[in-house]
Amino acid sequence: MNHKRIVSPEEKFPKVPESLFLFRSCTGSVEYPGTENAIKEILKLLGIKAVMDPDQTCCSGYLLTCSAYKPEFSLAVTARNLSLAERKDLDVFAFCNGCFGYLSELAHIILHNPDYKAMANSVIAPMGYEFKGTARIYHVQELYRRLQSNLVALVKRPLQGLRVGVHYGCHYLARQYGILDDGGYPSYIEDIISSLGGTPVFYKERQACCGYAVGRGFTHKENVVHPHLYSKLKSAREEGVEILVTVCPGCNTALDREQPALSERSGEKFGIPAIDVGQLIALALGVAVQKLGFKANTVPLDEVLRKISADKGENIQ
Amino acid sequence: MARETLKDSLAGHADGYKLLDNLSSCLGCGKCVGNCPAARQTPSYNPRQIIRDVLNGAEERWLKSEEIWRCLWCAGCYTLCPMDISYPLLIMQLRYRAVEAGYGLQYIAPFKKFAMRAREDGLTFAPGGSKGRERVQGIRSGIGASPWPEISEKAKAEYTALFDLCGVKRDLEGMPEDAAEPLDLNYLGGRIVYEP
Repeated sequence: MNHKRIVSPEEKFPKVPESLFLFRSCTGSVEYPGTENAIKEILKLLGIKAVMDPDQTCCSGYLLTCSAYKPEFSLAVTARNLSLAERKDLDVFAFCNGCFGYLSELAHIILHNPDYKAMANSVIAPMGYEFKGTARIYHVQELYRRLQSNLVALVKRPLQGLRVGVHYGCHYLARQYGILDDGGYPSYIEDIISSLGGTPVFYKERQACCGYAVGRGFTHKENVVHPHLYSKLKSAREEGVEILVTVCPGCNTALDREQPALSERSGEKFGIPAIDVGQLIALALGVAVQKLGFKANTVPLDEVLRKISADKGENIQ
Repeated sequence: MARETLKDSLAGHADGYKLLDNLSSCLGCGKCVGNCPAARQTPSYNPRQIIRDVLNGAEERWLKSEEIWRCLWCAGCYTLCPMDISYPLLIMQLRYRAVEAGYGLQYIAPFKKFAMRAREDGLTFAPGGSKGRERVQGIRSGIGASPWPEISEKAKAEYTALFDLCGVKRDLEGMPEDAAEPLDLNYLGGRIVYEP
């Protein structure tokens, strides 16, 4: 236990990378394609090259936690995907807490169990891959924090006091070591929001799980997932949250897609849109609304966009 | 039971994947329970109790239970555990054993079709029907991205190959079709009532 629990962004990135391996997220590119686009736009403005590899597949973590996959498959998939980044000599940046959590957890298991490393490598060797363990795994949000002052300098469309509730998502905070903030009470995203001109709102159930993980959305919807989401969204509404931001497209799916069903069950209105924090940053940086894919959202963002004068949709970079 | 003996017996069944060599260090402090969103909804799901039963070699009843399927895998317990026990890796293995013993199939079978589609796509969450695919393509094209995520044929083929090689296809195809519907559970005071 010699690792540091909390590390500063500067310790994490003594040098800001010039290019990075952007790890495609299935939910981020299929359910909410605007997430991936927003990140690419932000990185472009920050002068960082995002490299995506068409040979990269799903991290396979979602169905692993649903117990539909056995770890052998996910260990092999992780080794294969990470070896792609190693070939390019780049570090991996995930923008989904799921990808981030599973990649780091499974890589940890591979690198600390010689038998698993041998197993994973023996399965991918015939395809011409080898996982050495040199690529480091980060979450894109860590980079936002590291480059917060650069982001602030680029603001073209301040958030006008927009009341933003943050949903951190479990699988970033669940890291025992090397995270950016206290996993028990994080506040770095709130800090980013204020620096962009928004008003962060600390609602009661801020750190509650979205309840969707592990696909309980398929099997446990009414009994387990909805009571969670109900108390979460209710507490957000009571604090006057106008928009929720996530760092995980999976959580975003739960918070956004389930609202109509929740309203039907409870007879109450929520109407709180949920977007990726990258999409909100991109809005603040003046990226054209059309590039951010809000059409994918179940709960519309019209009011939010009007409030920050982004409803005309123009690019004001 | 001496710790070493305990470790051997754990490795034999509860921790077949040998990922939890610190399980026997559990202090029984209960932080995992206090922080558990699933226990909040279903108090009879109790991670501390499950760990204790596993350590006592008495976890058999949990395999038959509905409770082990409550865990949301949020890993809040792991964040707080003073002994760094990765409880989600225990619940994962209990679920595998439950399925091997014929329990809890209704919680896996609904993912069969979904997983088999991921096998082809190299992506999870890609809609299966043409209408859903067109929707995704429309949104992606509208934002100036490629109509479909840029995933190569090679990536898909290799994902499928790994899927089959690691036995996932065999396991999923072995699932009985009639287990596809999740149970409709009755609750009484937060506890699951098993009688109809």
